[in-house]
Amino acid sequence: MVSLKATVVRPETLPTGLYRAPPVDIGIGCLRLKPAHGDYPGLRRMCGGRPSEGVPVTVDGGVTGQTPGGDGVVAHEVWRRFGAVEALRGVNFTAAYGEVTGMVGPNGAGKTTLFLVLATLLAHDSGQVWVGGFDPAHHAGAVRDQMGWVPDAFGFYDNLTAREYLTFAGAAYGLGRAAKDRAEELIGVARLKEFSDQPVHVLSRGQKQRLGFVRALVHSPRVLLLDEPAAGLDPYSRVELRALVRQLASDGAAVVVSSHVLSDLEQMADRVVFFDRGVTVGERRIDDAVRVSGPRVWRVWALNAADLVAALDRHGYVHTPPTALGVDVELDSDVAAAGLIAGLVHDGVQVVSCAPLTSTLEATYLQLTGEQA
Amino acid sequence: MRGVFTVARLEFTVRVRAGHWRWLLGGWFVILVLFTLLLRLAIGRAPTLDGSRGTVMYGGLQLFQLALALIVMPALTGQSINGDRERGTLGVLQVTDLSAFDIAAGKLLAAWATACVFLVTSAPLVAWSMIEGGVPVFRVIVVTIVLALLLGVICAISLGLSALLARSTTSSVLSYLAVFTLTVGTLLVFVLATGLTATSNSGARTDNTWVFLAPNPFVVLADAAPVAPLPRPSCRTVTQENITNGHSQTVTGEVCSSDTTNVDPLGSISRAVRQLRTQPDASATFSPGPIGRGGLVWPYGLGFDLLLGAFMLAVTTRRLRTPRHHLARGVRLA
Repeated sequence: MVSLKATVVRPETLPTGLYRAPPVDIGIGCLRLKPAHGDYPGLRRMCGGRPSEGVPVTVDGGVTGQTPGGDGVVAHEVWRRFGAVEALRGVNFTAAYGEVTGMVGPNGAGKTTLFLVLATLLAHDSGQVWVGGFDPAHHAGAVRDQMGWVPDAFGFYDNLTAREYLTFAGAAYGLGRAAKDRAEELIGVARLKEFSDQPVHVLSRGQKQRLGFVRALVHSPRVLLLDEPAAGLDPYSRVELRALVRQLASDGAAVVVSSHVLSDLEQMADRVVFFDRGVTVGERRIDDAVRVSGPRVWRVWALNAADLVAALDRHGYVHTPPTALGVDVELDSDVAAAGLIAGLVHDGVQVVSCAPLTSTLEATYLQLTGEQA
Repeated sequence: MRGVFTVARLEFTVRVRAGHWRWLLGGWFVILVLFTLLLRLAIGRAPTLDGSRGTVMYGGLQLFQLALALIVMPALTGQSINGDRERGTLGVLQVTDLSAFDIAAGKLLAAWATACVFLVTSAPLVAWSMIEGGVPVFRVIVVTIVLALLLGVICAISLGLSALLARSTTSSVLSYLAVFTLTVGTLLVFVLATGLTATSNSGARTDNTWVFLAPNPFVVLADAAPVAPLPRPSCRTVTQENITNGHSQTVTGEVCSSDTTNVDPLGSISRAVRQLRTQPDASATFSPGPIGRGGLVWPYGLGFDLLLGAFMLAVTTRRLRTPRHHLARGVRLA
């Protein structure tokens, strides 16, 4: 546990919303152990700006290995039925290289089904899917070579050590002798050095999650599919996970991550795709979502509650009665919020805080997934 | 093939490391030792068994070992695929470079290797029976190979069922049902079918129904075993007084036992099933030789069993193929 504290950037030392990645070399792209199936816009960035020398450009059976627009993942009108149940009813989204694409939606919205389609395990009924430039239904092998998948629930083999587990994963990806070295590297990335010779079942949940996460990196994939990677993790491990995901994206990988924890996505995703009942109902860039905001509830607090309430009444704001937490006011936009603060200060109210009660992402989520209910 | 061995090595390591493994193997060995000891004590004194004690011990041991293996193997392999799916280790394996065949064959190889480890533990007891005499090395080699093949078939059946069925408990139970069908079921079908062949003017025609008995693992094992050597005839000097026409005559001579069929559990099963292949009128005169007069039974039985095993391996491979278009109700992919 000593090295846990020594190597990781603690959350409180970082400014909110900006988590720096731990200083580890993930080895995405640069440590390619297998020939690539094609050249990608994101490839160069993955190798830290150096030209991607020695990466043979191969074209697989007339397939270009290019997705439309050169994105890591593209889904167009994807449908999937299970008998009478329509799990996916027209999914549209893209995930660009070098970006983290978040996926949110209620339970049963079809996120895991979509992940199974992207991970080459489940065939879609109709529509088009590209992962790393290939159709997972027809070129599963080519997709698997460059796609890493962390399922929402996964297990380990009893009595295998972390090192053996990762070495086996490398062997399964055909790394041959390089599997051992790659396992060592990934043990470092997962910070499991002290536990590498322990059976996996003695590891804590967070350690297991990290092990399962780096397993998906064993073949240096350029597309990463993370299905609920933060589920069941403590706050400290979540911060680590966010840092690792950000690092992978900045190394050039296209990362698709689903989560129910919107604040996690707000801090780790570049873009968020909203899901509801098998349909993609919207898509927002995180920075856009922060800039453009619709009507929201804001919570205002001042040193003297009576002064605050009096001032709000004077200006004709509709508000809730004051509680120990503050007074809630519904405002149309950020401009209205700025006007409110200016007005209160002008009136001499000693305002302590004025903040939106729900995050912009949460507001968008509720708006997009609720309106069809 | 490299993928097959990658999977097999992993599966085998996981099986060997599991704590219950030592207990299973220990229990297996203890039961075999107890059985052999009891068998040896039971045949200890009988003078008719002189020269074929080893044959009896070996044959009894192998049949018992087969019975025991039929009980243990379905439990060890019956959850191979759906158990992994339940534990969440199958999906991440399927998205690697490993093909469906790599996973299926690797798992079968590991299960089979496990079965062979069980067989190897009986080596000291086999050596004991060989020391007792009447067990040629060739017989041991052939019986061991056939036994190993039969266990491989059982593993393949269990593996296929674990790939076909969503729940590991269901597939385990069905594996036992399959073993039951192969052992008791074949016997029942044979008996019932033979009964149907009997008409008012002819007896039962087992020469038409013996095939139902052929896939029975015990029949295959017994019939495939090379014939045990005949014990040296035990001769003794006898003096006899004959009275013919009032004259007494003392005759001294050697009388040798004319019993050319030695006591051999495998041999007697083999003789019996080969006898079934003969025509009804021919079966009226019982063949005295060590080999039944009918033809071989084991090539048909073993052939059928091996085809069944290969079919189940193909089924497993097919069920592991991704991306999946159709999913059975209740099947979770990962």
